[in-house]
Amino acid sequence: MIPRYQRILFWILVGSILLMGGFLLKGCREAHKRLTALNDATPLAAPTTAATEEVTFYVASDSDGAIRTVRSQVALPTDASLKARALIESLLAQYSQPESSHTLQSGPSVEDVYLLTNNLPAGAKRTIVVNLRGSFADNHPSGIEVEQLTLNSIIGTLHAAFPDFEEVRFLVDGQSRATLAGHAGLDHPYTLEDTSIRPLAPSEAATQP
Amino acid sequence: MYAGPAFKIEPNTSLRPVTSKLSSILTPAMFLLIAAAPSMQAQQAVPAPTPPQTQTPVNTPTVPKPAPTFYRNLVVIDPAHGGRDTGAQISGTTAEKEVTLAIAQKLRPALVAQGFTVVTTRDSDPSDELATDVRAGMANHNRPLACVLLHATGSGTGVHVVYSSLPGTKEKSSGRALPWNRAQEPIVAMSIRLANEIGLALQNDHIPVLLLQTSVPPIDNLISPAVAVEISPLQEGSGKATPVTDGAYQQRVVNAIAGAIASFRTHNAPPPTQSTPGRVGVSQ
Repeated sequence: MIPRYQRILFWILVGSILLMGGFLLKGCREAHKRLTALNDATPLAAPTTAATEEVTFYVASDSDGAIRTVRSQVALPTDASLKARALIESLLAQYSQPESSHTLQSGPSVEDVYLLTNNLPAGAKRTIVVNLRGSFADNHPSGIEVEQLTLNSIIGTLHAAFPDFEEVRFLVDGQSRATLAGHAGLDHPYTLEDTSIRPLAPSEAATQP
Repeated sequence: MYAGPAFKIEPNTSLRPVTSKLSSILTPAMFLLIAAAPSMQAQQAVPAPTPPQTQTPVNTPTVPKPAPTFYRNLVVIDPAHGGRDTGAQISGTTAEKEVTLAIAQKLRPALVAQGFTVVTTRDSDPSDELATDVRAGMANHNRPLACVLLHATGSGTGVHVVYSSLPGTKEKSSGRALPWNRAQEPIVAMSIRLANEIGLALQNDHIPVLLLQTSVPPIDNLISPAVAVEISPLQEGSGKATPVTDGAYQQRVVNAIAGAIASFRTHNAPPPTQSTPGRVGVSQ
């Protein structure tokens, strides 16, 4: 005859084993999902023999808050939307290099890019919509300067490649989002302009009314 | 808790003569906002403890006094984030919300020592997130001389002083109220002056400074001169960087900010006895 306390203990142990098994399974699934999101290497387009073209990247530097222009030869798709996406992916890929002056996590960053040109209502601005991946925004370093530098870097690069467009709007996973990583606002469109400016130093003259 | 101005200038009983005097500080759009918000006026029109400077005849009908543009001795501090919104992860165990609160708790006495009344949007870590619109509402309701949004980060170096990226405007507003997302627009010029004051004070203390133009919420929704101050690790020479959690570093930054705001008050809102015609509309 098995004592009652031993039977209770047995079932408690069985329950604990099942509970731990459940937790383990859940953890494995989440880890798998996260790794899959980071390593999604879906090709942008079928490989082509497109010739390389010269593009201007607006490269950010955290140390002095400046954005400098760097000319580079890159093979880009001919389709404008794919070209814009490839351009931003190339730009952000530079920031995942160890020697980068504006370090971001590696991995895919842009879901889609849309160029809004057709059937625009009168007075509407020609807009580029950049749909960033949630994993990119979630893993982006948090801070006013670092977030704004990323946005200015994208804005300047798009302006150089698509000078006919006037505005850029950022989405994250297809949804509007208040900020990139808690600081730089994404809830309004940005004017596409040359962002290669150095931050101003404070001056005595600028303090006077 | 801020209980209203200690002393309040009694502007003229009629609104019309005051208009010209207010023109340099009280921008038209803000004037309209004030005119369009009687409830806000009622809340702001705290009875002054001192008697009026001019004697009003008993039979003269009293005209509601316009609320001042801002109180020259009042500063609002907004320690960013809080509650579930932890902000940036500064180190393994320290979140940005803790650093901003610690800096705010140092900045308050430093500003009080300069003769300011200080209102903070939070004095502790709230259980729930404090929305940026709520923070802006609190600051706008108080009409401070300056609003300082405190941030901290683990990237970059020195201090980043940020003002709104909205274009400054001197044009008269045709509407009756300011658009919420562009409330800062008429006052951007003063915010730039405030940013430069703080930048110079930090530079004088040998702290590297960058002035940035960014729409960090809720800076565009504020109707008073406003800057965001983001504190980064301090890299002096080739030695090890001083983290933002360092108390001495925080105190240096706080002292510079407090001194700069006092200097900003002197330049932009001198005491009533020294006021020029363009300075009316500012209350102590």
